Amino acid sequence: MKHTFFVVSLLFVLGCQAQELFVFTEPASNMATKSFGMRLNNDFWENSGTASVKYLLIPEIMYGVSKNLMVHASVFFSGEDNHFNMEGGGIYLKYRLYNNDDVQKHFRIALFEKASLNNSGIQQEEINLNGFNSGFETGIIATQLLHKMAFSSGLSLVNALNNEDKKLPLSPKSNTAFNYTLSAGKLVMPKMYKNYNQTNINLMFELLSQFNPGLNKYFIDAAPSIQFIFKSQGRMDIGYRKQLLATLSRVSQSEIFIRLEYNLFNMKAH
Amino acid sequence: MKTYLFLLATLISHSIHAQEVKKVSIQASGLTCSMCSNSIYKALKGLDFVDKIDANIQNSSFEITFKTNSKIDFDKLKAKVEGAGFSVAKFIATINFSNIWVNSNGSVSIGDKTLLFTDQKGHELNGDKPVQIVDKGFVSTKEYKKNAVQSAGVRTYHATI
Repeated sequence: MKHTFFVVSLLFVLGCQAQELFVFTEPASNMATKSFGMRLNNDFWENSGTASVKYLLIPEIMYGVSKNLMVHASVFFSGEDNHFNMEGGGIYLKYRLYNNDDVQKHFRIALFEKASLNNSGIQQEEINLNGFNSGFETGIIATQLLHKMAFSSGLSLVNALNNEDKKLPLSPKSNTAFNYTLSAGKLVMPKMYKNYNQTNINLMFELLSQFNPGLNKYFIDAAPSIQFIFKSQGRMDIGYRKQLLATLSRVSQSEIFIRLEYNLFNMKAH
Repeated sequence: MKTYLFLLATLISHSIHAQEVKKVSIQASGLTCSMCSNSIYKALKGLDFVDKIDANIQNSSFEITFKTNSKIDFDKLKAKVEGAGFSVAKFIATINFSNIWVNSNGSVSIGDKTLLFTDQKGHELNGDKPVQIVDKGFVSTKEYKKNAVQSAGVRTYHATI
């Protein structure tokens, strides 16, 4: 833990350039009105206890309804044990509640709601609506952009339901948990912006945690990532998530994440 | 008589059209990255009266020129920046004035717009002048609180040179 905080502190000190398009969490900012985004999320989870890898392919579409409201819809495909199955899908809504802009700065607060359906078997106590559990999540995010550095924090309440006929191994008392995240980002390239075709490189570091009060158990993960932005329109994220501390039982203690994203801004103009 | 009236009307309409918005320079706030800048660029580009946009990503600023004889709408320009999720920190319109006298209450008509100058009362304006709009949403919140101008109505803007 000490080491992690050292790395985060180092980012704060070194950082004079950063970004907020975080890889494992969402910032409080929304996408532009009438903009459409497509994502191909690839999750590789190493199964705890066995040597197998659970591959999740999550295609996702995003739309900016207004300057304050955006929506995501995703489908979960699982590639476990040489099978490729559709296991469910999710909807995510984000509403920008507060905005204070200044030149190359902003502070924003957003509320979000996520609903997921999943039909995979559940063995783990950890609640994860991104391809593992059916349920709801309600949360709040605050993001500060300071020139090219960005910091974000999120707190949410996640409620798991049975995955269709597959029963939740948790008692009704323990199917609710809190998620808490801390994210920092830094833009490392380019040093000077000249045009929209320059490739941007961002480095991110995130802490992802969950606490289940019913079980009195938790986990804390560290998740560094690198992000490439192409032609100010496309994006590739490569992230690694590793468990630091945990008492909750989990599907996996480590994850490799690769995301491809493409945005169409102001749909009318295309 | 009719001919004189026609001539007078032509002269008046000519004098109004002679006050022309040549370009608008907008500095946006709340962003750093080129993807954010691009979302503003594409949103502004979607407006039918916009011709060319020269974007300075480093300063989050956009220099906009317009199609000839088009109706330039300052509010729509501001709304596009806000729709992309950001704010306008500075809005400067370069206006070509041809010997126009700013009356004692500071108002000048520019096509369908009225400018209310806070600093040019009783002055004659001539040539290209950078005019800054200081109404709410056209300047930073900090700046707006300093000026504290009340909205003067549709297409009427408080301005300084």
